[in-house]
Amino acid sequence: MAPNACRVIRELSLLTVLLLSTTNVSAQTRPPFSTTKGEWPSYTGDTRGSRYSPLDQITARNFNSLEVAWRFKTDSLGPRPEFKLESTPLMVGGVLYATAGTGRAVVALDAATGAQRWVHREDEGPRGAAAPRPLSGRGLAYWTDGRQERILYITPGYRLIALDAKTGATIPSFGTDGVVDLKTDIDQTILPDIVTGEIGFQGAPVVGRDIIVIGAAFREGTAPRSFKNNKGYIRGFDVRTGKRLWIFHTIPKQGEPGYDTWEKGSAEYTGNTGVWTQITIDEELGLVYLPVESPTGDYYGGHRPGNNLYGESIVCLDLRTGAKKWHYQIVHHPIWDFDLASAPILADITVGGRAVKSVAVPTKQGILYVFDRVTGKPVWPFEEKPVEKGDVPGEWYSPTQPMPTKPPAYAKNGTSVDDLVDFTPDLKAQAVAIASRFKLGPIFTPPIVSKAEGPIATLARGPTNGGTNWPGGAYDPETHTVYVASSNSAPSVLGLVQPAKDRSDMDWVAGIAGGGGRGGLTVQGLPLFKPPYGTMSAINLDRGEITWQVAHGETPDAVRNHEALKGLTIPRTGQPGFIVGTLVTKTLVIAGDPQVTEPPGRPRGAMLRAYDKKTGAEVGAVLLPAPTSASPMTYSLGGRQYIVVAVSGGPYSGEFIALRLPSAER
Amino acid sequence: MRRFAMLAVVFAAPVLVAAVSRERSLSRPATRTVWDSVYSAAQAARGETAYVAACARCHAASLGGGDEAPPLAGTGFLGNWSGQTLADLHDRIRTTMPSDDPGTFARPLITDVVAYMLKVNGFPAGAAGLPTTTDSLKEIIVRASKP
Repeated sequence: MAPNACRVIRELSLLTVLLLSTTNVSAQTRPPFSTTKGEWPSYTGDTRGSRYSPLDQITARNFNSLEVAWRFKTDSLGPRPEFKLESTPLMVGGVLYATAGTGRAVVALDAATGAQRWVHREDEGPRGAAAPRPLSGRGLAYWTDGRQERILYITPGYRLIALDAKTGATIPSFGTDGVVDLKTDIDQTILPDIVTGEIGFQGAPVVGRDIIVIGAAFREGTAPRSFKNNKGYIRGFDVRTGKRLWIFHTIPKQGEPGYDTWEKGSAEYTGNTGVWTQITIDEELGLVYLPVESPTGDYYGGHRPGNNLYGESIVCLDLRTGAKKWHYQIVHHPIWDFDLASAPILADITVGGRAVKSVAVPTKQGILYVFDRVTGKPVWPFEEKPVEKGDVPGEWYSPTQPMPTKPPAYAKNGTSVDDLVDFTPDLKAQAVAIASRFKLGPIFTPPIVSKAEGPIATLARGPTNGGTNWPGGAYDPETHTVYVASSNSAPSVLGLVQPAKDRSDMDWVAGIAGGGGRGGLTVQGLPLFKPPYGTMSAINLDRGEITWQVAHGETPDAVRNHEALKGLTIPRTGQPGFIVGTLVTKTLVIAGDPQVTEPPGRPRGAMLRAYDKKTGAEVGAVLLPAPTSASPMTYSLGGRQYIVVAVSGGPYSGEFIALRLPSAER
Repeated sequence: MRRFAMLAVVFAAPVLVAAVSRERSLSRPATRTVWDSVYSAAQAARGETAYVAACARCHAASLGGGDEAPPLAGTGFLGNWSGQTLADLHDRIRTTMPSDDPGTFARPLITDVVAYMLKVNGFPAGAAGLPTTTDSLKEIIVRASKP
């Protein structure tokens, strides 16, 4: 070869190296989103639902020394203060990004000081006001190709926005001037019109391999205005252009598998069946995991006879094409509002000596459903158990429901007289009297027609506000353990009434006959059920066993100070309430109390607690001015570990609080 | 041993608020609590009708809350509001509800719904109705436990 040719080849090689180092790195070669570098680049830290960080500066030894590094009040990020800040920020490159405020603005803050770098807010007028899922939302997504950095979020009015992460300006080349209208190109006409048509999303979009996956959500569904509604299809979009790449019909269209699970043509008009919580992506396998919600009518399914795929199913899709790989319907013919409400958790475990790539799904039922995430087969067998058939006119009942053999349920999910409060014989007698107005029974006891003379309703635990909801769980890849909070004592009243014709065309909607506060479910102000009212559980996924479980949350004031309990020694009861997000670090499990208390010896407030992740022993707690109202996150910057929590609730408006150790204690 | 730490800076703002509240309370003391039969049965009945029409779809007929809407009865609700005045609760409803058109509920309607919430939470009814003005509601404190 001529010397000149050699030189040309060398220069071309050099040019290639330079090009590779200065231009886009392909999605296939970029490492997955991860917290290993001390950042928090995706809603759950990664896209796997983990909420795990290997940071180890904050420990059992020093947790109580945490002090406020900065705080950021969100009152001005919308037309009024917000009291329900559910946002978990991201942290990348020393900048914290979050959705916040009643206008769902995006803010970029200096992660060391909380100082605002930029803010972006869309004024959506009537479209935003009509949003089924308004307010601050739960978060956003970050994306980079090594050159550009983008922030992606979904407005209350269901528009996907791409922002320049450095400036907050919209990206003109994405969608139309930085916006993709999610109410269009959705394989259906959103009714009644694009402004007021019911569909939205308050979760964080998730990005994997340059594809954005978007969920769909609707209004609370216990008493819908109609048995017809818009459908919650799931879509994938190109992160560079905003172009739709695929759509998955969560209610199959005619000719698609599963259409026949909607009898009498009910797939044509039934809606909802979206994914309103967080979607999980396995970037390495190129798979998406959808936790699908209930179809239209949370407690009544007579307008949609059949099993109703993919309602309340976990569905695995190919990330690139949206093609279904497998599904498993966790509840057949959903009539309990057992939406899959938590992000599926990806866990690489070892079961019986065999390596298993699993996906674990925490649920309102307080049951962790664990599958091989490649094949969709349960890791431990599920049994199709016979369940009670109800007698609501027009309802269709599934004769069986799947029940995992392992791990055991980590929350209470049925009701019986034995579960009722029994601090004193008098209280027990009153509880029995209250419960006698209801129908009690195990999980999957169906809703009933409410009768003023009784029974008023089925009394259940789990549906709607028990077990684990949208804050989800956390997964420790070191110990192969899921950590998950649950609410045990928030009873759901599954009663049905016929709605007035001007309110709904449903045959039955949730309600209580007779009125007069007959839904009251406390005994002299005490919870109807025995404690623990809320727990934190550690579930080892190699063995399918609960390794520890503790009452989570201070004993409520209404219990601790109750005059009927004077002289009794009652161990910490924990607290009912499902907004308990969990964070796991090198040594700690961290979660906040869902309620405010004021026990002797400290001011009024809510605790942020730290547990030894191996034993469940509480090793520290710090006082916050209001309950944590979102999942906490952590990051490291300038050699210091931070924990950021969102707090709000009751009269306390939304605020991000960043905690870190004093300089001397690092 | 269970331990906790107080975050002095966290409490800077609440302490300030508490100081302001104390000043207000000096001029106009809050003399009653929700245990003092502060609403009437008729008012709560009106409140129930309004609640079923306007609130139950999200907060549930039992006031137990939903996936999005918080519970309006029970220890969580009482914990959050204990120590606050009914004016605070009334204002919160007035300025944030209904969620798709905040600020459109009439003040008397909100007062009726608050009366119904008190009833379902187990507080006793009395002969006189709950007042509607902010100043009057400021004189009634929510207490989770009977004083």
